[in-house]
Amino acid sequence: MATGIKDKVAILAMGCSRFGERWDVGQEELMVEAYLEALGHAGIDPGMIEAAWYSSHYDDIGAGKAGTPMAQALRLPAIGVTRVENFCAGGTEAFRGAVYAVASGAVDMALAVGVEKLKDTGFAGLPPASRGTFAPMYLPTHTNPGNFAQLARAYGARHGIAPHDLKRAMAHTSMKSHANAVTNKNAHLRKAITMEQALNAPMVADPLGLFDCCPVSDGAACAIVTTPDIARSLGANAPVLVKAIQLVTSNGWEVQQSDWNGAYVHTARIAAHRAYAEAGIGDPRAALSLAELHDCFSVTELVTLEDIGLADEGTAWKRMLDGAFDADGALPCQVDGGLKCFGHPVGASGLRMLYECWLQLTGQAGARQLGAPSLALTHNLGGAPAQNVCSITILGAD
Amino acid sequence: MTGISALGLHLPRLRLARSSMAAAMDWLSPRAPARGARTLAFWDEDPISMGVAAARASLVQAPQARAAIGALTFATTTPVFAEPQNASLVHAALRLPERAATQDTSGTLRCGLAALHTALENSRPALVVAADCPTSPAGSLAEWRYGDGAAAALVNQGPALLAYRGGASLTAPFIERYRAADRPFATDWEERWVREDGFLDFVPRAIAAALAEAGLTAADIHHLVLPCVIPGCAKAVAQAAGLGHARLADDLGAECGDTGAAHGLMMLTHALEDMQPGERVVVAQFGQGATALVLEATDAIRGYSTGARAALAAGIPETNYLKLPLFRGQLAWERGLRGRLPVNEALTTAYRQAGALLGFVGGRCVETGRVQFPASRLPVTEAGLHRAPQGPWPQEPPVQEPWPLADLGGTVATATADRLAFSRHPPNCYGLVDLPGGGRLMMDFTDPDAADLAPGDPVRFVFRVKDLDERTGYRRYFWKAVADRPQPAPAA
Repeated sequence: MATGIKDKVAILAMGCSRFGERWDVGQEELMVEAYLEALGHAGIDPGMIEAAWYSSHYDDIGAGKAGTPMAQALRLPAIGVTRVENFCAGGTEAFRGAVYAVASGAVDMALAVGVEKLKDTGFAGLPPASRGTFAPMYLPTHTNPGNFAQLARAYGARHGIAPHDLKRAMAHTSMKSHANAVTNKNAHLRKAITMEQALNAPMVADPLGLFDCCPVSDGAACAIVTTPDIARSLGANAPVLVKAIQLVTSNGWEVQQSDWNGAYVHTARIAAHRAYAEAGIGDPRAALSLAELHDCFSVTELVTLEDIGLADEGTAWKRMLDGAFDADGALPCQVDGGLKCFGHPVGASGLRMLYECWLQLTGQAGARQLGAPSLALTHNLGGAPAQNVCSITILGAD
Repeated sequence: MTGISALGLHLPRLRLARSSMAAAMDWLSPRAPARGARTLAFWDEDPISMGVAAARASLVQAPQARAAIGALTFATTTPVFAEPQNASLVHAALRLPERAATQDTSGTLRCGLAALHTALENSRPALVVAADCPTSPAGSLAEWRYGDGAAAALVNQGPALLAYRGGASLTAPFIERYRAADRPFATDWEERWVREDGFLDFVPRAIAAALAEAGLTAADIHHLVLPCVIPGCAKAVAQAAGLGHARLADDLGAECGDTGAAHGLMMLTHALEDMQPGERVVVAQFGQGATALVLEATDAIRGYSTGARAALAAGIPETNYLKLPLFRGQLAWERGLRGRLPVNEALTTAYRQAGALLGFVGGRCVETGRVQFPASRLPVTEAGLHRAPQGPWPQEPPVQEPWPLADLGGTVATATADRLAFSRHPPNCYGLVDLPGGGRLMMDFTDPDAADLAPGDPVRFVFRVKDLDERTGYRRYFWKAVADRPQPAPAA
């Protein structure tokens, strides 16, 4: 009988590069930047790392296929490197691989790295991803703003939210993340914005304007994981432990059958339910100290808050406007700026969220430290509302 | 006795105002007066897609006829492909029987009517589809006069709308216009010569020969259908042919323009709405000779709707002349990185999935009745916490029967107007569309008013260009959603 992942694996250390338009470096340097920070925190000989997982989405125009780009960039000590790709949820997927390897007892220490070098592609917004040969023959030429705009319209219609109110709630969502990122030296966008700026920004896909969309960034993040005992033996008195990791992938039901109403993300609800059960959390609103949600678009954050039980259905937009998810609110979300302002290097984002949770849980978050948080959640979504990969991870102080 | 048992046409929604064409080009080529408008194919319309639309408009009047069709001829002077056969794509989109013989015909504006002549002289049930997207140099008279459109006629033995009484086709090397196979534009010679030595010579002789075949005289004819862009020429031909008394059919110049190979059928379809049972019509068209057909309206035309007036009334005024050269690929334009990506042809996949892609055939589970697109060996089911366990799967999952979706229509579930995605007519509009039977798919919305579609709106499906790659000339087709608004009431 499976017993779940709770308390079987500890995060020894993490690292994260500066995100943004990194014209100065390529993907190798980004990985090295994150890796050296993690090694510095961990205080280990790299030879102790026995296996590695590597997340990068755009293989053909980014770092390249297979595990070799990472093994070479980090000069890893002749170990197995597995490349994973699960849309924008790839960072968490790499982490899951490393955590499962340690939990299985196959290795004592594993590394997870996510990287994306998007600003070598020339695109504004994410470049189109390959979809095989058949799907492009019938699917529209779509973009993520277009996909999530459908979520916004359906969410507004489902709950009878006036377009103006929804737009204001989305604007507050982005304002809050901009404010949070001002003090984050690694963030891509470090400038506060006003409600008016957000409301009046050019439309990308109605109702999503420019400030409802996260930027496209270069960046890398990494985690070194090990057993709780080894973490303690290496000097971590209260290591951050993995409490839950759940991953749910759409099987085509939402996009092929008319039962789903388009106003929520089916996989997120299931992943959250399973993650709370795995972590033994009955009331997530009381238990969680902070959350890092996949706020690729402002509306995604609002809908996710409801999908994962942090707000009642149809109320997240009001609570957002009331400041419940601001840094000084009842449940701070995106205290590092989130995808919206820390940035979104696709394959790295899941690990970046975990990095912020790890900083917060170990009291290392500096100017944005939230007291002494005990339990943190990350929600990492890849794909579109109608067809996606959704992962939820919960970390806790020992 | 053969006859035409159904007629249909398609006009693109955009109607480019000639005043706008004049505003853009009359510094170079002054033309007056700038009256009316011409049809302009949307970026995703071409002769194949328009031909499919016209054929569907005819078949909707004769739903039982589809399975019996033994021949399909696709006529156009502006074929999309030199290879493959354009008719094979029309055939696939219409889900015609595999044994229906298909052919393309081209080379003269008369090719559509000539194909109809051939079909009427044969006993096999046949579909004749004619479509054209004439391409002309900027500022030319041809650009001004011609429009885009398609028409189709279903030919059968037995009861018909229009019984075939006789016909004639004359052939001669009268070359008043030429366009080499590798050239985009035709060269036209002097119109007075074309009128005097061309139309006025060949068409009356073809009409006389057709009347002789029919055992009729000019006095027995009530209507004359004769496309001709030369002003006053059709009337002169009528006089010369002894048909001065006959009603000269509207050439649709004011609201449509001459649709080339389609225009004989187009004008006939439109004129049918003014005919009475028992009246006879001569349909003629000119080009390297002439074809004339004598047809007689039967009682079946009472209450028959060709949709012609509705199509004419459904236009969307367009005042931006530049859309014409841009849609035709005659003007280089900034499309951004997203517009430069190559189209992955994957012809193997395209053939393996031809039923789904061209015929828009999905699957329907024979056990549950659930519809899905595309069909799959394992039917899609919800997987979630609140679903009861399914239990062990049967060794053989339930079969999905082929389920044609093209004529079913659907309802918009989610919608977006995307300004980031590449589109030849931004914003790119798409969303989930729910199908009768519980299925849905994410699909493109099209036509100039696509951005108006909202959740809950009913849609119908149209066959359009999905992707085209200017570098290779390859293009592929799929079905898109358009608003299924009540058709404008035909004018009284």
